[in-house]
Amino acid sequence: MTNDPEFTLIDRILAGEREAYAHLVDRHKSFAYTIAFKVLQNRPEAEEAAQDAFIKAFHYLSGFNRQAKFSTWLYRIVFNTAISYKRKNKQQFQSIENTILEYSQEGDGMLEKTDKKKYLNMALSRLNETDRTAVSLFYLEEFSLDEIADIMKMQANTIKVRIHRARQRLADELKNILHQEALTL
Amino acid sequence: MMKKIPPHIDDQLLDYLDGALSEQEKEKIEFMIRNDQALANRLEELRSIDRSMQQLTLEHPSKNFTQVVMHKLDQYPLRSGLTTRNGIILLAGVLVTTIIATLLISAGVFDGKSTTIDLNQIELTGKYISRPLPSIPFNGKMILNVIIMLNLALGFLVLDRAILKPYFQRRMQAGH
Repeated sequence: MTNDPEFTLIDRILAGEREAYAHLVDRHKSFAYTIAFKVLQNRPEAEEAAQDAFIKAFHYLSGFNRQAKFSTWLYRIVFNTAISYKRKNKQQFQSIENTILEYSQEGDGMLEKTDKKKYLNMALSRLNETDRTAVSLFYLEEFSLDEIADIMKMQANTIKVRIHRARQRLADELKNILHQEALTL
Repeated sequence: MMKKIPPHIDDQLLDYLDGALSEQEKEKIEFMIRNDQALANRLEELRSIDRSMQQLTLEHPSKNFTQVVMHKLDQYPLRSGLTTRNGIILLAGVLVTTIIATLLISAGVFDGKSTTIDLNQIELTGKYISRPLPSIPFNGKMILNVIIMLNLALGFLVLDRAILKPYFQRRMQAGH
């Protein structure tokens, strides 16, 4: 059993101190939202999926067996929720907000041709959601490979291979994007 | 035309960047990089991705994220797998099937419908099983009774999940 300092907070929540859950949400919301965003590539949808995941986690909290860190358990719920949103809302969630966001990014692009971050995000968006999430978690350096595998419910070896492939693919995609950009100049 | 780098060498370049190679493997790949411009270019591409990805930062949700979550805590389940409408349709189907099956039984349609299934007729038994197998009696009325029972169990389950549970949850929330 892991000795996670958050277990005390969880005990308080389970004892009925419901407001203590706000501390857990505050602590993990950015990481949870990042995972959801890496899967969904859509801010409003990622926000909704991450919120949904926190609500699920609250209701399943008594079933959390404390074999792993709370964050690993929580982010697995976030990842699964985001994946199911991706499947369910593939056609539905073409919101106006997203259209505006994409439009403004395109507009800004004229001013920031040399912005590496923009090209990196473009290359990342060409990966599938699992590879994109795995490689992002790897570089955010919060988790070990075993923990990433646990969050994504895969074997550690499979995750290692996927991250390798994703990095290689990113390099290829970035090269292609820059090549295309150079041709349009 | 650009030289294609074999996948295992590409993997080794990543391991080299991660510092995951043994001293011997490291010397070997460094020698290859020194003598192969395509490999040196590829290493630079991978290193560039590595540097960019290392600057990856967390995304931040809206400012009222926590308040929204805390406010929605009682609304679980947010999305039931079975909507009330689908539940009612399924329940109607289950009831119609049960009623038809009950009417057929009471009309005596299956009274004389019984037979036995002889397992020895299956070719496999001769090949792999030497001992004779028993015959299984097959009674149409009994099978239909089982189907009715299963239908009733399914009907109660659907009634609970799709209608009663959401109804009482809504009442509880309204009472808060």
